[in-house]
Amino acid sequence: MSAEPAVEVADLVVQYAGAMVLRGVSLRVQPGEVLALLGPSGSGKSTLLHTVAGFLAPSAGTVRLGGRTVAGNGRPLPPERRDLAVVFQNYALWPHLSALDTVAYPARRRGAGRAQARREALAIMERLRIAHLADRRPAELSGGEQQRVGLARALARRPSVYLFDEPTAHLDTHVRGVFLEELLARRRDTGAAAVYATHDAEEALGLADRVALLRDGQLVQVGTPQQVYDEPVDLFAARLTGPASVIDAPDGSGTLLVRPGWARLGGPVEAELRGVWFRGPHSDHLVRSPLGELLIREAGAPRHQVGARVGWTLVHGWPLAGPDG
Amino acid sequence: MPPGGTPTPARTSATVAVLAVLAVLVALPLLRLAQVVWQDGDGDVLRVIGSDGLGTAARNTVVLASGVTLAAVPIGVAMALVLRRPDLPGRAFWRAAVLLPVVVPDFVLGYSWTQAYARAGFTDTLLGLSWAGLLGPLGVWLVLVVNAAPLVYLVVAVGLAARAEPDLERAARVSGAGSVTVLRTITLRLSLPAVSAAAVLVFVLTLGTFAIPQVLGAPAGFSTVTTRIYADLSIGGDPGSFLEAVTLALLLVLVAVACVAPTDAFLGPRLRASRPADAQGTPSSPERRAVRRAEAAGLAGYLFLTVALPLAALLLSSVTGALGVPPTPGNWTVDHFRQVLTPRTVEALGRSVGLAGIAATLLVGLGGLVAVVESRRAGRATASLITLTLVLPGSTLAVALLMTYGRWLSGTLTLILLAYLAKLWAFAHRPIAGALDRLPPDELRAARVSGAGALTAVRTVALRPLAPALLGAWLICFLTALHEVTMSSLLYGPGSETLAVVVLNSEELGRKGPTAALSVVLALLVVGPALVLWCVLDRLRTRRAGPPTVRAGGIAHVG
Repeated sequence: MSAEPAVEVADLVVQYAGAMVLRGVSLRVQPGEVLALLGPSGSGKSTLLHTVAGFLAPSAGTVRLGGRTVAGNGRPLPPERRDLAVVFQNYALWPHLSALDTVAYPARRRGAGRAQARREALAIMERLRIAHLADRRPAELSGGEQQRVGLARALARRPSVYLFDEPTAHLDTHVRGVFLEELLARRRDTGAAAVYATHDAEEALGLADRVALLRDGQLVQVGTPQQVYDEPVDLFAARLTGPASVIDAPDGSGTLLVRPGWARLGGPVEAELRGVWFRGPHSDHLVRSPLGELLIREAGAPRHQVGARVGWTLVHGWPLAGPDG
Repeated sequence: MPPGGTPTPARTSATVAVLAVLAVLVALPLLRLAQVVWQDGDGDVLRVIGSDGLGTAARNTVVLASGVTLAAVPIGVAMALVLRRPDLPGRAFWRAAVLLPVVVPDFVLGYSWTQAYARAGFTDTLLGLSWAGLLGPLGVWLVLVVNAAPLVYLVVAVGLAARAEPDLERAARVSGAGSVTVLRTITLRLSLPAVSAAAVLVFVLTLGTFAIPQVLGAPAGFSTVTTRIYADLSIGGDPGSFLEAVTLALLLVLVAVACVAPTDAFLGPRLRASRPADAQGTPSSPERRAVRRAEAAGLAGYLFLTVALPLAALLLSSVTGALGVPPTPGNWTVDHFRQVLTPRTVEALGRSVGLAGIAATLLVGLGGLVAVVESRRAGRATASLITLTLVLPGSTLAVALLMTYGRWLSGTLTLILLAYLAKLWAFAHRPIAGALDRLPPDELRAARVSGAGALTAVRTVALRPLAPALLGAWLICFLTALHEVTMSSLLYGPGSETLAVVVLNSEELGRKGPTAALSVVLALLVVGPALVLWCVLDRLRTRRAGPPTVRAGGIAHVG
């Protein structure tokens, strides 16, 4: 594996139907690293992936894969000559091909014979435990099954970079869990780099080595999951990465971000309990205190009624910068 | 499709009404046709079928239809592939321009080719170049191909929009397939049902086509089944030629049904099962601009030679004083227009417009009726029957209606109206049914649970989105009825000529300038509504695609 970044985009600008969708994005993904692109819909996640894949041509900036410039230097390299695979949000399975032939497609394009390509495809499908679906067409598969076939097709490409375009957006919660587990296991096997677009904070934080936060076609923050969760650069980043309360700092120095686990009930600060939600493993309490409203998460079932006067203690806070915060 | 599969009394009576109209317009006349051949034919039928001229005409027809299909399908598919590219320079213009050969009445197209390329035509006068083969089988074939290619394009473009989503092609590209391989293994495979359907449609429509073979083939002695029926019926009074016409009409419908019924049964579900058409295709990946420019240039050249030049030549000969005079401004005159715009012509024009308007209005009603009935399982069969009327050759229908109702209605506009209703029903039904299909059932359900009755729900929720489809269907019927000449040329009588018939008769009398002038009038008459239709369809398209959903920073507003 080369020392060059697996993916490197620099000052990327993409215009689409007259509107500027990406406005100067620079990112690096090292070999073997998983980068999550986290942003609300319309923030440019898909556009960034499509530009890296070669479905869109940037109007400025460069895309490099493994040290090789594929866009931004004359005519962009077409997708089939870039060393990457894509898992699509809507699966993008070909309705006229069986699951087996779909997974065999990349090998066929590499020049393998039909029998050889099918053998390889079946081996991959066996590893993903979907070999029993080999003869089915997409119309005969559930969403989760379709997406695993899509994943198998991407694996069959044997690329250095995987691009995931919100692959779990259309999946039910439990199917999503199964798919993500499979995804992580396969990625460990291959050691390839991956860029994973999602609008789900939990998914991004749990999956990635680093998280890039995107808003209106610009990067807001890039860092490890801990960094973006514990030390978001502004309120937007804070809200994007998880539940967040904003209160006045007790010392009057500005505003403070408090995650639900950063304060606990019981203590010196007086407050009124405005709402209580039992969530199973834990309960959320919304308290109103002179410093502002904040959410406090405690293990187990709720111990207070709405309207009760409670005390609470601030364990940790993160000062938010900017007028936005 | 509207919710509810339970048969209500209203639905049942609608089904009965549809079947009754179908029986009166189509089934009864066809049965009468068969009966006449059976009774009056005796042993003569075999002799008629065995006769030389008829055999030639039948063979010509089948060979012509096959040849036109073979050539028109690749051209139409190529058009659909090229015009799908959003980065094609001038795409909106080209998408309208390629439809010109179907918008212009087919005999106007055929006649315009003679004005452009035949002896004493435009290229002959200007460059000394003329094509003797234009009047004959080759010319008929070529102009029919030009006429049929846009139909293939339309069918395949819809199929591509519905099935070949950009992501499916992107997935192939990123799996290592080059653009040609993607075309071969994905795009064309996905559009195969649409291409097959288009091929069958072109084949059957060419079997029944009349105007172009009549204008270009008949003068050279090249006869097809339809031109022979016309010739047989023009003779009049001769029982032998009448029997031949009736036999040919029956033969034509049998061939058409034999081609369409199996393909409709086989392809119908495949075409319907496809996903609803979503937004127009985005590029699956950027391609070289030079390629796009070359494609646009090719398209421009094709349209110039096949449509623009002939129509320009037609316009020139309509304003040029005399035969053989160069078409320069010095020789321009409006004499031909003054000459042809007699009270008789103006009356015919009024009749054409009135007839087309009435037919279109009734057809939209009938089409809507079928679309509503269709949501029941039994209604599906009715809808298939109505689709079959689309490929019912006009000549057959005209002869059959003439024999069934001719006793009372011979030579009247009512008979022509009946023929239009029978022939164009499917034209009205398809767009309305399509729009109903696209209407999300939850929208009607939401209206119902919000307190609207069944009719109120349709009026308040469904009618607005359906309005463009209804208008589109009306305009399609109006336009087609306006151009129609196959049936009206067989059914007209004194005082019921339509404008199209007047043009055809003038052409047969060999009056070059006046015919050109009349053709120009008819073409202009058609282009106006066609432009309106284009705008309506464009609106339909953008509505379906929906507004761009950019909800940037949506989360920032929460809390």
